Amino acid sequence: MSWIYLAIAVIFEIAVGIAAGKAAGFTRLWWTIATLVAGGIATFFLSLALLTFDVGVGYALWTSLAGVGIVILGALFLSQRLTWKKLLGIAVVITGVVGLNLAGSA
Amino acid sequence: MSEPHRSTDPATSSAKTGAWLALLLAGGFEVGYALSVNGSAGFTELGWSLVAIVFFLLTLFFLSVALKRIDVGIGYAVWAGIGAVGAAVLGPVFFDESLTAVKGFWLAVIIAGVVWLKLADSPTLEGTARDSAPGRTTEVE
Repeated sequence: MSWIYLAIAVIFEIAVGIAAGKAAGFTRLWWTIATLVAGGIATFFLSLALLTFDVGVGYALWTSLAGVGIVILGALFLSQRLTWKKLLGIAVVITGVVGLNLAGSA
Repeated sequence: MSEPHRSTDPATSSAKTGAWLALLLAGGFEVGYALSVNGSAGFTELGWSLVAIVFFLLTLFFLSVALKRIDVGIGYAVWAGIGAVGAAVLGPVFFDESLTAVKGFWLAVIIAGVVWLKLADSPTLEGTARDSAPGRTTEVE
């Protein structure tokens, strides 16, 4: 169940990343509201995930998987270039997540 | 090929220092946010929950101030790095948690990956690293 809470928290944190970018320093009202609402939902589900995960582990998983999601969605829908550097970053994050799981620490 | 514009105006450089201070504060508040979200126990503990909300708003505010003058990729990289390292190191201090060598190693890999990922989104670094990127066709002037 904790992984499901974490996944929901990650999805809303991806929304935060995209909305915060569009809010242009919080000068645009509706994107600012969207950032706050998505951030509130992400925070709530993160808190549920952290009932099981250690805070250091849960927080790192949450922020890094959201970072990966933002890059992938940016490449798919916002016509941002998926450079070799970004692919390397994604590979390193996934290696770390898998390693953490195999080590039984997640 | 023109060099990115670099200003040496003292007023600009002190504003830059202020932006970096705001970024460090945003990172510190993000650590407080992570710890208090954990302490809120699924938002059932009122005190921790209120602190978490305050830290969340402070983080957003200081991050937005910082990113007016600091490159978005570099800013997010520093902020995310501080937040994740802080949560991993201080979690065991405030809660009944442990940070073993193995766990620390894999957390370091994850954090390095996300910091790298944010840096890869930096317009400034992309501009300077463009010529050395392999597999990219040389732009004709």
